[in-house]
Amino acid sequence: MSISPDKQFDLHRRMVRIRLFEEAAGRLAEANRLPGFLHLYVGEEAVASGVCGALNDDDHITSTHRGHGHLVAKGGDFNRMMAELMGKATGYCKGKGGSMHISDLSLGMLGANGIVGAGSPIAVGAAFANKYRKQGQVAVAFFGDGATNIGAFHEAANMACALHLPIVFACENNEYGEFTPRDKTMAITDIVDRAAGYGMPGVIVDGMDVIAVHEAALEAVERARTGGGPSLIEAKTYRFYNHHGVQNLGLKYRSDDEVARWKERDPIFTLEDRMVENKVATRQQFEDIWTQLRNDIDNAIKFAEESPVPAPDQVLVDVYTQKAGAR
Amino acid sequence: MSTIGIIVNPNAGKDIRRLVTPATHTSDVTKVGIVRRAIVAAAEAGAERILVAPDTHRLGERAAEGLDAVVEIVDEPVTGSRYDTIGAARRFWKEQAGAVIALGGDGTSRDVALGWPDAPLIAISTGTNNVYPSAIDGTSAGAAAGYVATGAVSIDLVGRRSKRIVVHIDDADSSIDDVALVDLAFIDADFVGARAVRDPHTIRAVVAAVATPASTGLSAIAGRIHPVDRWETGGVFVRLGDGGRRVRVPLAPGSFTTMDVAEVRPLRDGEEVTLTGRTILAFDGERDRPVSPAGSVTCRVESSGPLLIDVENTLIRAARDRRFDTGTLSSTGEQHGH
Repeated sequence: MSISPDKQFDLHRRMVRIRLFEEAAGRLAEANRLPGFLHLYVGEEAVASGVCGALNDDDHITSTHRGHGHLVAKGGDFNRMMAELMGKATGYCKGKGGSMHISDLSLGMLGANGIVGAGSPIAVGAAFANKYRKQGQVAVAFFGDGATNIGAFHEAANMACALHLPIVFACENNEYGEFTPRDKTMAITDIVDRAAGYGMPGVIVDGMDVIAVHEAALEAVERARTGGGPSLIEAKTYRFYNHHGVQNLGLKYRSDDEVARWKERDPIFTLEDRMVENKVATRQQFEDIWTQLRNDIDNAIKFAEESPVPAPDQVLVDVYTQKAGAR
Repeated sequence: MSTIGIIVNPNAGKDIRRLVTPATHTSDVTKVGIVRRAIVAAAEAGAERILVAPDTHRLGERAAEGLDAVVEIVDEPVTGSRYDTIGAARRFWKEQAGAVIALGGDGTSRDVALGWPDAPLIAISTGTNNVYPSAIDGTSAGAAAGYVATGAVSIDLVGRRSKRIVVHIDDADSSIDDVALVDLAFIDADFVGARAVRDPHTIRAVVAAVATPASTGLSAIAGRIHPVDRWETGGVFVRLGDGGRRVRVPLAPGSFTTMDVAEVRPLRDGEEVTLTGRTILAFDGERDRPVSPAGSVTCRVESSGPLLIDVENTLIRAARDRRFDTGTLSSTGEQHGH
């Protein structure tokens, strides 16, 4: 399939938005201007962008604790995202969710999730509803390699296949579960080897190549949308920063050489180089894009910092269902 | 000392084509099983050294676990790329291996040929398009490799020279030599991307060394119009476009497409074909190298590929030479060694 120049720019823009949002969040956290845990998506941009670039606005995704990238890729608003990370009333969850529960139902983003593996069953629920309503929507569950060792993933994959649901399981295999290398926690190397056990196809793509991810996602999403059932895409990728934060805890669980090798394959710069070589874009165009999006981020930080924190009387609002007759 | 080498491509049989075609998924467990059977059988046939290439998934190590056979995982860099296969083939050449077993698809065999052009090879299909390798059980492959490596069955009797496509690329600021074993395709695309050639409209031309109606993949286009089997000399050139024949082609396993073929031309052994202009070159079914608008690609089909070992013929000769016998029995059932 050919990816049009417009689509190439679209995928590039999604990746740059993620990179800039995450870099800004990292800097703010380092400066103690942003509370809570922060799991940065830098390095993995091609996965969320390539997959979400194949989705319609009303398709659904579920996310992980490393979830900002998924929301940005689905079209998330910088202002409301940054405000949410800072715990402000103008944030996506009115400041009560924070980084690991950020969501935007209007974009079909059903939430980041602090529990490893917990997103997949939610995506299965969305996929079931989508099939029931017959409106052609697809659900995508993002999860990491470590999540496939969790019972919830197995139940979700099994149920999705048993019910032949319109869902794509998008595994971001970044080789580490927190600080533990994948080979310490599973006897297989490729997550796709699990797929056949549920009765769905699984494919591996280069998760540092947004075009490769997008090509796979287009086929998986089309398959789901046209009644072909679930599939699993395993994107081999890498997080440039640590499990959380930028400096992390100073733990040496991977070598500098390894990190440097992956950074050489930076998904954004790789795409830019290729688009310039193909004469689809110029360096100046990319510089303009980065500059414009940097302004957007600066504005978002200003918006968030100037926003109020939630009022004390809001502490229980939106926490429990407000049911008629309930005490 | 009789030596065999085993290469297993951990990435074979897992690409994007499984999403929309019923191509086989080849799991690590399957690959480990094939390698393990090959090791046991090679040792049974008398191979004294069994060298296994290292790989990112440690498939060779896992296959050798707990076996009595003397297996050596050779010390070569592991990069997770095709260079692992190329490097291993080169190493086996240096180690004077009498036979090489390679698990993968057409692309894996191509990488073996890049590392060791004259490799005495048994190619086992665990890939997507498997025109060059064959569906051979590890037990048979290991046994045949063992008998060839020990000299019990002469490679001169059971090895046969396969073909390859020799490719030379002159581009704006580079000059590169490469090879394909089955087909070289010129693709109108901007990216290597997910590698598989999925859009039939992007295929501009194909040069095939092996093209039979039984093939799947790009070589099948030529195979359904002008078949060329793996042993006859020369190849075939196909240019896609209007004005010629319209054929149904299995471009991927279990997936048929209508292709418009403008030109079909047989190629003599060594006859050169040159195409110019911007393209992505697909080697043995996978997009691989971008060529700029200033680039020029020249290729020819030659009978200079790896020496393919005929597994069945090898084992038949071994049987006729009583290589499987451990002795003779008297009429009373008493055994006499020999």
